[in-house]
Amino acid sequence: MLLLLAFVNGSFFKPAFFLQLVTNGLSNGAIYAAMALTVVIIYKTTGHLNFAQGEMATFAAFVVYVLTAEQHFNIWIALPVVVVLSMAAGAGLERFLIRPVESRSNLAVVIVTLGLFLLLNALTAVIWGTQPKTGLRPFPGGIHDQITVLKGPPQFAIGYGAIGTWAVLIGVVIAISVLLNKTKLGLGYRAVAANRESAQLVGIPVSRMLMLGWALSTGIGSIGGVLVSQSSGTLDFNLMGSVLIYGFAAAALGGFDSIRGAIVGGLIVGLAEALLPNLFTFVGSELSLAMALVIILAVLLVRPQGLFGTARVLRV
Amino acid sequence: MALLEVQGLRAGYGPVAVLHGLDFEIPEHDIVVLLGANGAGKTTTLRALSGMLPASGAARIDGQSILGLSADRVCARGIAHVPQGRGTFNELTVIENLEAGAYLRRDTAAVKADIDRWCEVFPVLGQRRTQAAGQLSGGEQQMLAVARALMSEPRLLLLDEPSLGLAPLVTRGLFERLAEINASAGTTMFIVEQNANLALDIAKYAYVLEAGLIALQGPAADLASDDDVRKAYLGF
Repeated sequence: MLLLLAFVNGSFFKPAFFLQLVTNGLSNGAIYAAMALTVVIIYKTTGHLNFAQGEMATFAAFVVYVLTAEQHFNIWIALPVVVVLSMAAGAGLERFLIRPVESRSNLAVVIVTLGLFLLLNALTAVIWGTQPKTGLRPFPGGIHDQITVLKGPPQFAIGYGAIGTWAVLIGVVIAISVLLNKTKLGLGYRAVAANRESAQLVGIPVSRMLMLGWALSTGIGSIGGVLVSQSSGTLDFNLMGSVLIYGFAAAALGGFDSIRGAIVGGLIVGLAEALLPNLFTFVGSELSLAMALVIILAVLLVRPQGLFGTARVLRV
Repeated sequence: MALLEVQGLRAGYGPVAVLHGLDFEIPEHDIVVLLGANGAGKTTTLRALSGMLPASGAARIDGQSILGLSADRVCARGIAHVPQGRGTFNELTVIENLEAGAYLRRDTAAVKADIDRWCEVFPVLGQRRTQAAGQLSGGEQQMLAVARALMSEPRLLLLDEPSLGLAPLVTRGLFERLAEINASAGTTMFIVEQNANLALDIAKYAYVLEAGLIALQGPAADLASDDDVRKAYLGF
């Protein structure tokens, strides 16, 4: 442990620098949280992991690109339209692609979503090419579009993009919690998540709830795709590759069946990714993902169900 | 005319046939009990009736066929099934469990009144309204499962081994409640039980299932008092 201290980066503790790192971490973390949310919402009712989540989001981001850059719609008109279309597409995928194979085995579903991953990835590349496009900008994203808190050096500034990302995440979380906790539809969804068989027995149309899960997840995913494009300043067919890995990591950390866990997990993964390479001189930015995964592994060793996940206890 | 009429009911799991053609009927407002040893097909019978298992033959409620309907449609026809092992929504609160039981109802005000009503009938539920169902004891969960089923205002209540895993005193309390509800609300009940003594006590009519066939039937009081029957089928 003492040896580790020798590698601590001194400037890490300068307030402005540290705050800047935290801000960056939380803004990436918000995106990971959104992607973790898409994973969790499907997992809760179906027990499946959708590996095509990221590619579906990329595809949606490209549709937003077509509507804004080529058809010149305002992005705030294009985005809701694409979210609604994505939700319909998500529900359709569940109904016509997942459900027919679901009764066979869980592995069949895994293969189908992996296939969907490859298909959408290739399709995006075929339609829009492999050259990166200019990133989408729902929020001002120029070099001066930021609020400077500390002049520095080192400077501490919060970009409008980061603020926008937080606002969107908060909006999504509020919308989801109202839907799930205050409406009858949400009650049905949670009942299916708690006990699928009993939900059927009290008359809840379970298959519709599974479609609802996919619809919500795909809708949030498309928002996530646009946010990733904004924060990375680019848009290409591999947009979501690493983001989805962080998203899955966040979901694992928070607990695959916990919405709160997805949010907290996403923010922690974002923070770890931003802070660790700067705290230790021997961790380059290329190692930040590995370091984040080490921390997650450590947490999961102690709490296999994740920070907020439900431990499966069977009373016999 | 009986509320539920069943003819030649066959069901099973994949290639394994469990029920080999059951005929029985359940008159309206009565409590009917289905007895039998482990593996006789009691649970399978209930699951076939509530649309959880594919089945052949005929089953009609009020003359309308229910076989082949999905479980939520069967529920809409007025059949509520309390599954074995209770099946409460453990992550949901007691109130939410009851609300979920009324999922198909549109009369919000009456649903609220019914929640209060069943919380009075089962006071333990009233005291734990906002607690997660998973935190309740086994007996309390069984009360909740019964109350949740009643929230759908069923014409026919199917109960699968309500006594399973409960202390004798708790079981007795539960059966007393069931008899009261039957007497006051006239809810028809079809109870699967291993605890034959208690079940025959509150039931009007009984069927005994053996290896997927009805081996014996008769008024509950007759079965309970017949020594040969008791030794051969009921194990006491």
